[in-house]
Amino acid sequence: MIEIKDVSKLFKTKSGDVQAVDNVSIQVDKGEIFGVIGYSGAGKSTLIRLLNGLETVSSGDIRIGDDYINALSGRALRQKRQKVSMIFQHFNLLWSRTVEQNISFPLEIAGVNRRERKKRVKELIDLVGLTGREKAYPSQLSGGQKQRVGIARALSNEPEVLLCDEATSALDPETTDEVLDLLLDIREKLGLTIVLITHEMYVIRKICDRAAVMENGRVVEIGEIKQLFRNPQSSVTKRFVKDDIDDEETNVSFEALREQFPNAELVKLSFVGSKSKTPIVSKIIKKYDVDMNIIAGSIKHTNKESFGHLHVTIDTSPSVLEAITKDLAAENVKLEVETHG
Amino acid sequence: MDKLREDFLEMISFENVQWDRVWEETVATLYMTGYATLFTFILGLIVGIILFLSGRSDGRFIRVIYLVTAFLVNLFRAVPFIILIILLIPFTSEIMGTIMGVKGALPALILSSAPFYARLVEIALKEIDKGVIEAAQSMGANIWHIIFKVLIPESLPALISGITVTAIMLVGATAIAGVIGAGGLGTLAYMVGHTRGQPDVTLVATIAILIIVFIIQIVGDLTSKAVDKR
Ligand SMILES: Nc1ncnc2c1ncn2[C@@H]1O[C@H](COP(=O)(O)OP(=O)(O)OP(=O)(O)O)[C@@H](O)[C@H]1O
Ligand SMILES: [Mg+2]
Repeated sequence: MIEIKDVSKLFKTKSGDVQAVDNVSIQVDKGEIFGVIGYSGAGKSTLIRLLNGLETVSSGDIRIGDDYINALSGRALRQKRQKVSMIFQHFNLLWSRTVEQNISFPLEIAGVNRRERKKRVKELIDLVGLTGREKAYPSQLSGGQKQRVGIARALSNEPEVLLCDEATSALDPETTDEVLDLLLDIREKLGLTIVLITHEMYVIRKICDRAAVMENGRVVEIGEIKQLFRNPQSSVTKRFVKDDIDDEETNVSFEALREQFPNAELVKLSFVGSKSKTPIVSKIIKKYDVDMNIIAGSIKHTNKESFGHLHVTIDTSPSVLEAITKDLAAENVKLEVETHG
Repeated sequence: MDKLREDFLEMISFENVQWDRVWEETVATLYMTGYATLFTFILGLIVGIILFLSGRSDGRFIRVIYLVTAFLVNLFRAVPFIILIILLIPFTSEIMGTIMGVKGALPALILSSAPFYARLVEIALKEIDKGVIEAAQSMGANIWHIIFKVLIPESLPALISGITVTAIMLVGATAIAGVIGAGGLGTLAYMVGHTRGQPDVTLVATIAILIIVFIIQIVGDLTSKAVDKR
């Protein structure tokens, strides 16, 4: 759907040249949610702005659908932009327009007639869950609601691609989740392709299928989310993953536990890309009729899998423990015995 | 001391005031201010938008447009109004057919206030969040969409308070123009009040001007507030 090939962007400024994007190649499939993560100044915004021609490439090619963005200009580019829409960190709504007028704005630009606009706006308001707020002005909305308007507005001309520039960075964690769920929902319903950029690993693992990690204008790593979490290659990726999972060994006082559970095994379960939808632990407890006691742990979920670890005690015989270990391994959970009872 | 007291008593006696004449000149002032404000608004808005748009771009050709426009704006703002009237006499008599009366005053009024308003427009447009303009571009808006659907509506409160200030300035300018024969309350205050030694007429003309100014200010403030949804 999207093909970015050997793209570079050089800004010439008075204080010198800035290589904001450096020889980047990325392919995004239709219907995919693709993330780009990097620290501030990595060149993410510049890259995403190249995709709708808000910036022009210094070299390389960008193809979206059948069109090369870098070859379009004037009317053709403006027409293409109706199918490659964008949402923003600071929402960028027109304060002078109500919710419904804001959503109607791209339709006016596209020359859609009034009746059709009205119908479409109503559908979109329902889709993003803003029914009842049609006549409100942006200044009367919360951040999450403003971003919903931004999303509805971006969807009004039925785009093929949605570009999100730090779309949740101005929102609190709860609202972030709501907006991300909405994005998943519209991908499901409308089948559009989403490219989102962020500096939060949380956003990547929550909704992205694949992601690229950027540093100094270059893509240093690219792949499926589970691959980035299981086996991060570059130091930037490792830092993002570590910050996210908070990989510090949980400090468990073994001595105290020993006294509390004199006969139990203390084990560590490591989740490395396990199916998050299956209740693995409770299945084991039922199947082997064992007591399991959770001591500590930290688990993070992507939209498909879980990562992290749990410290538990299991009161059982060595042979059963072995069977459990095998079962867990089949679910991508590694069991390690920390101390023997 | 007695002379001063006498003058004062004459001033508030209103014995020389011909009220129908006052009304006539008030209408003339309103007429001049109204037309001048209307054309200043249109011309200033166009020039202000040109300044704003050309000032943002870094193409060479557009840069030249910006510099030329900015130069003309500064030039017309620098020339004192009274001198502008004199300089414009040939131009005025050519296009208006007269250099006297309300019609004769309009070109100078407009050309002196439009550059001022153009600068106010430029400042108002610079206050618009860049992100909003960019959002419109990202939706495929062309330059006309951006002007009529983004720039003007999003800066409307400032455009209105700007034209309010300009209109009040224009009331003052019509009074100056009145001294050299444009008609209106300025003419009344000078030609009748001063040269004939009728201070009560001058006082009435002044009060009429103040009332006009206050009304413009109040209407401007209320309108600006009403359209501001921020
Ligand atoms: N219009 C511009 N002119 C000159 N330099 C620019 C311009 N836009 C971006 N840059 C530079 O390009 C580099 C990349 O900027 P960019 O905004 O793409 O980073 P980013 O990854 O989006 O960062 P952030 O997370 O802070 O938004 C920075 O060094 C920035 O200063
Ligand atoms: Mg950015």
